[in-house]
Amino acid sequence: MTLQVPCPNCGSRPHSEFTFGGEERPHVPRDTDTGLPRVLVPENAEGPQRERWFHAFGCRTWFTVTRDTRTNRIG
Amino acid sequence: MTREPLWFEGREVPVLEGDTVASALFRAGVRTFSRSLKTHRRRGLYCGTGECPNCTVTVDGVPGVRSCVTPATGGMRVRRDRGWPSAEHDLLHAADFLHPLMPVGFLTKTFIRPRFAWPVAERMIRRTTGSGPLPVDAPITRTVSRHVRCDAVVVGAGTAGLSATLEAATGGERVTLCDLFPIGSRVPPGPTLDAILELEPIARANPNIEILEDHAALGLFEGPTVPLAGPAELVEVHPQHVVVATGATELHPLFPGNDLPGVWLGRAASAMAALHGVPVGRRVVVVASTVEGMEHLHALVAAGTSVIAAIVPAAFVDEVPRQTEAIVDGELIEAHGRGRVRSVLVREGGERRRIACDTLVLSMGLAPRDELARMAVGEPVDVVGDAALEVDEPRLGGGYLCLCEDVAVHDLEQAWAEGFRSVEILKRYTTAAMGPCRGAMCARALACFARDRADVADVRAGVRTTSRPPVRPVALETLAASVHEVIEKRTGLHDVHVAAGATLEWSGGWKRPLTYGDQREEYLAVRERVGLMDVGTLGRFLIAGRDAMRLADAVFPGRIDDLAPSRSRYVLALDEAGYVADDGLLCALDDGSYLLTSTSGGAERMEARLREWADRLDLHVHLLDRTSELGAILVAGPRVRDLLHGLTDEPIEPATLSYPGHREIVVAGIPCRAIRNGFVGELAFELHHPRSRGPELWGALLRAGEAFQVSAFGLDALEVLRLEKGHVYLGQDTLPDDTPDKLGLGWAVEMTKPWFVGKPSLERLARLPRTRRLAGLEFDHAPADAAELRGVPLTVGDSIVGRVTSSASSPVLDRAIGLGWIRSGDEGFPTELRAGSTVGRVVPTPFYDPEGARVRG
Repeated sequence: MTLQVPCPNCGSRPHSEFTFGGEERPHVPRDTDTGLPRVLVPENAEGPQRERWFHAFGCRTWFTVTRDTRTNRIG
Repeated sequence: MTREPLWFEGREVPVLEGDTVASALFRAGVRTFSRSLKTHRRRGLYCGTGECPNCTVTVDGVPGVRSCVTPATGGMRVRRDRGWPSAEHDLLHAADFLHPLMPVGFLTKTFIRPRFAWPVAERMIRRTTGSGPLPVDAPITRTVSRHVRCDAVVVGAGTAGLSATLEAATGGERVTLCDLFPIGSRVPPGPTLDAILELEPIARANPNIEILEDHAALGLFEGPTVPLAGPAELVEVHPQHVVVATGATELHPLFPGNDLPGVWLGRAASAMAALHGVPVGRRVVVVASTVEGMEHLHALVAAGTSVIAAIVPAAFVDEVPRQTEAIVDGELIEAHGRGRVRSVLVREGGERRRIACDTLVLSMGLAPRDELARMAVGEPVDVVGDAALEVDEPRLGGGYLCLCEDVAVHDLEQAWAEGFRSVEILKRYTTAAMGPCRGAMCARALACFARDRADVADVRAGVRTTSRPPVRPVALETLAASVHEVIEKRTGLHDVHVAAGATLEWSGGWKRPLTYGDQREEYLAVRERVGLMDVGTLGRFLIAGRDAMRLADAVFPGRIDDLAPSRSRYVLALDEAGYVADDGLLCALDDGSYLLTSTSGGAERMEARLREWADRLDLHVHLLDRTSELGAILVAGPRVRDLLHGLTDEPIEPATLSYPGHREIVVAGIPCRAIRNGFVGELAFELHHPRSRGPELWGALLRAGEAFQVSAFGLDALEVLRLEKGHVYLGQDTLPDDTPDKLGLGWAVEMTKPWFVGKPSLERLARLPRTRRLAGLEFDHAPADAAELRGVPLTVGDSIVGRVTSSASSPVLDRAIGLGWIRSGDEGFPTELRAGSTVGRVVPTPFYDPEGARVRG
């Protein structure tokens, strides 16, 4: 029902306060030939995944967490 | 003390202190509380603890109320909704006699052919099964939701739960303790109640403990999170760890006749006799094989119940009261009777013996309510008390295994014979364990049934079915608790619009005026004279700091470095795939920072986008959201300057405030930032001002505009104005995979920049042929209001080649215009097409003032 997301500023808060930003990707995909697939096709890892969250109804900070996609355990 | 009676199917039923609905009805002689779901067998009071479905009645129009745990209050209107013509005399009971002819899956097997028979059969089946009509006309009650953060949540306030709570709280933890009922209220007098009453005041006095009575834990989710459904609220508890102290229900024994009215579980019978003072029968047989069972036997006898025989293990034989015959190590074989228990058949030392009775009380063991614990894979959960008991496998003698869904043991045997040979598919096929009790009473027996028969190698066949939320029945309106919690955003001019009689509508979280009465007049004011619009909904962001320009240069695909102070530029925002996600107007300020205005609906997205790239590119940028702090009024029309000259001495001529540019000016004594804007296609200024002074500025503009017949205009007029200019509404005119090129916005992209978000993708996409684009459309013979064409497919011959995304009848052009996307065919993009019966042509945009002379004026 509610995933708790650890915000670096506000502490652990329910996921409904956040916007999910998807998997963390390299900052600047420079190689145009590999850049496109990486943008469109997520890794969709089964297990620990680095991903971006935005505390939209809070401090409005982006941050990266590691979430296990099998258990939803973060950290 | 006399209390107001309740009403049961048209007659008065007295209510005594402490009564539940069930005890009041039982005292008044009601024995059949419901009819079973499928075969309409009579069902009477059974578990007494709110687990089984037998006592469900309709109270004040709400079906499925468990009368055994619902306190009776005067004036309640109670009825039984199952059965025709009544639950007492139910002709549909014939289904029970036909049961052998109606095996599991009977309905779907029988009515599958001919096809036309199903709708008829469905209507009949719906009327005869189920548990009463939903109260669709009932008033909506708003349930609130709230979050509780604590160190521990303890589910269940029995002795184990209270002890665990006090232990944790004494150790300094903040504890939330919840229970289905007020503490101790459902426990009959005895040592258990004494222990609870001793612990309760200590718990209540402890400031570290929050006690939530009448709150049902629905499940256990990751986090961990435990949602609690309480009276008019949904509480989401986020603890560090969970203690499951949900106790156990009494074992539901399986033997033929186990569902007859007059068969009780011990807790129900002793509570009825001891708490409510109603004898459960005249000739009672008790089967007690546990210590708790002996307590119930004594409670019954102490309450004056005539217990004629007790089947007990040898160890307890000395404790059987003198007037009761002790049957040592007897075995209960079946209960017999039509409509209620008349006799029981027992085996005593190899002899079969029939005992005439009217009530059978069973206390033969416990079934731990461990569903919450079984849900908690990898979560920090402790199980304490009876919920943690290891119990023996139930015996499968016969009778009804699942009371909720009306599944008998012989139904399971037949399903097994048909090849449903694992517990999970048995459950799905027979619906056993899928009823309101969520398998609390039958899941173990179901697993046992499958294990007894399964192939030895198939270890999963006999494992209990997956435990899923909700473990307790919950109303949908409770689960939907937060849907009513909507934030209505209002501009500083909201009250002005309401007073002016505007029609307000939701628009991206805001309430905005659609029209003030006459849409055409509002439109003409802008095109011919001057109009005012509240655009305080636009997102306004200050982008400042050392790297402000680098951020703008990265996020927006257009050229940024040559944007001089006091100048503005339309900007697109792309996602990494090169698709258009947002747009806005970027105004360069004197100190190297920027003011960005974004679309009303996309403001939050835009902010998240800017912050994300500032973070990912590690830029030193301050982003300040000024949306709620600033109001904005769009003043547009050929006579704008005439109007503003009456309110300001500042230079607003083309030479000093040209398009596209901006400047700080004072209008009617109010400091504003005036931004030249081309959205409606006329000379126009957006006046961004302190929100609190909005009504004052609006009033001053209206008064000064009287001479020019100024009019306020709303979203409806704006739709026509912007469409005449061919301006794209992102989201309405676009699809999720539109590149700037497809929208005709390629001019807003500067591919010579070394990098911007989406550039690598655009380069790659540029190598592909363009097969779809947004085009301007003109229609002949359109409907009187061409807006009706919106959404209509565009066709060439028989094939669909596109769709109209916006359309309107243009008063100044005197024709129907629109935007729509079109697909290229063998001969390139079509130029002539049809929208329904209307003939359309692809034309260049803008439709109105293509050179933009009026905007620049």
